[in-house]
This record gives sequence, structure tokens and C-alpha cells, in this order.
Amino acid sequence: MITTTTTTTHWTDVFKTSAGAIYQCDTERCWYVDFGGKVAKFDYRCLLKLRKSVYHIDIEQALLNTTKDPDVEIIFICACDHCYVLSLLQIIALKELLEGTFVMLELNHILHERLCSIAS
Amino acid sequence: MKDLLRIKSLISTEIEGLLNQQVKKEALSSSIYLSMASWCNRNGYDFSSDYFFKQAEEERHHQLKFYKYILDMGGNAISPEVTGIKQEYNSFREVFEEALDQEISVTQSIKNIYARCMKEQDFVTMEFLNWFLKEQREEEYKARRALELFEVIGEEGTGRWQIDKHVGQIKYDSEA
Repeated sequence: MITTTTTTTHWTDVFKTSAGAIYQCDTERCWYVDFGGKVAKFDYRCLLKLRKSVYHIDIEQALLNTTKDPDVEIIFICACDHCYVLSLLQIIALKELLEGTFVMLELNHILHERLCSIAS
Repeated sequence: MKDLLRIKSLISTEIEGLLNQQVKKEALSSSIYLSMASWCNRNGYDFSSDYFFKQAEEERHHQLKFYKYILDMGGNAISPEVTGIKQEYNSFREVFEEALDQEISVTQSIKNIYARCMKEQDFVTMEFLNWFLKEQREEEYKARRALELFEVIGEEGTGRWQIDKHVGQIKYDSEA
């Protein structure tokens, strides 16, 4: 994986798309989500909550909706400092980013498990 | 890159989801048994009512066991919403038929979690579930035995009164 070094912390790229990126910071035990024009810090609980709220949005239903309501979703996560106001296209992009991220985190978990079993 | 997901929680998101579903199932069972206890009491089957009160307590205990396990392993335990509990039954026998159906569905659900744990090699949760598998032997035995009483005693005459009396005495003491 590509690593980026900053002056204070060390961030590892977890997953990147043309719309954004998610980095992991081992020292702070958190993730940085670069999306929608801002970089927001998420701890374990909040990242799971973000995933849950994004996955719960019924994109198909929103696309078929013919009312005059704006195609905008507000993603507000309880006990988290960040809030997203996103269009449907942005939601699709964020969902893709999160899906990729969790696949990578899962892969990382598998690799750690395999390495542990080889080492022991 | 550190495995932060593993550092925060021993169980995977999938297992956590399944265990939370089980929390809900146990809560549902407890409420169903309470409803059965109420029905039996209202219809004069006092021993059966006590039996279902005890069953409701047990299911609640199971629910809390799952709930605490999720929390202890670093997961997020979700307090379940329980709605749509049936309050009326057509007959005394129907109550016990549904009690057995409920136990069978709980056993199946635990087996499904176990199968998922085997796939993920989550031996810790498998060991935790062993207690529940043993418990289900007892639960299913008791529910099946209660229904059996309808066959061996019969519902005619004072049959239902006899059945009610014997339901309170059902015990499972197999050491196997």
C-alpha cells in the first residue's frame, strides 16, 4: 500500500477513488475521510455509523422519486462532529468509497490473521 | 497498517449482526411466553401460566447473555424493538404448538450463527454458543413433552385439567 508521511502523523491509504479517499492513522487509531471537499476524522464507532447510514439510503427509490423534493440527503451521525449534505451522485460515490475501504480493512484483517498463524 | 477493526472488536461485523438478531429473537420469545402466560392464566390453566412465566424469564436471561457478550467483545449491542405479539389463542393446545415452533426457530437460528462462526473460524463465539445449544436441548424437550401430554392424556373430560397439572412438573434432567 502507498504511504504518505506528514510532519506529525503517519497516514496509510486504505482506499481511493476519483471522488475521494480514506486514510488510516495507526497512532491515533482512527480514519480520515477525504470526501465532499473536507477531510474528517472518524473513530471506529463513527466510521461504522457512517457506513450504516450511507448503506441505508435507498438510492433506487430516490432515483425513481418524481416529487419536486431536492435530491439531497443529509447524513448526520449521532455523537460525531461531522455531517454531510450530499447529492445522489455523491452518495453513490461515497458508498463506493466506503465499500472499497471495508473490503481493504477486511483484507488487512485476513493478512494479519495469516501472518499471526504463520508466526506462531 | 494496524488491524484496527480487530483491535476494537473480537467479533466480525457479520457475527455482531447475527448476535444482535439473536438478541431480538430471544426478546421476542420472552414476550411471546409472557403473552402465553397471560392467556393460560385468563383461561384457568394456572400451572401452565406459571410454566410460561418461567420460560419468559429464561428467554430474557438468554437475551441478556447475548447482549453482554456482544458488549464484552467490543461490539455494539442493540436494544431490540419487539412488536406484534399475538395475544389470543384459539385453544390450549395451540399455545403449546406455537411454543414448540418458537423453540425450533431459536435452535435453527443458533445453528445458523454457529455455521457462520465455523466459516470465519471464530472459535471464541462457538465456545460461547455451546451453552445455548445445550440449553436448546432442554427447551425443545420440554416443549415437545408438553405437546405429548395432549396425546397421552387426551383433552376429553377433565383431560385439559390433568394436562395443565402435569405441565408444571415437566423436567429435563438428562446428563448426556
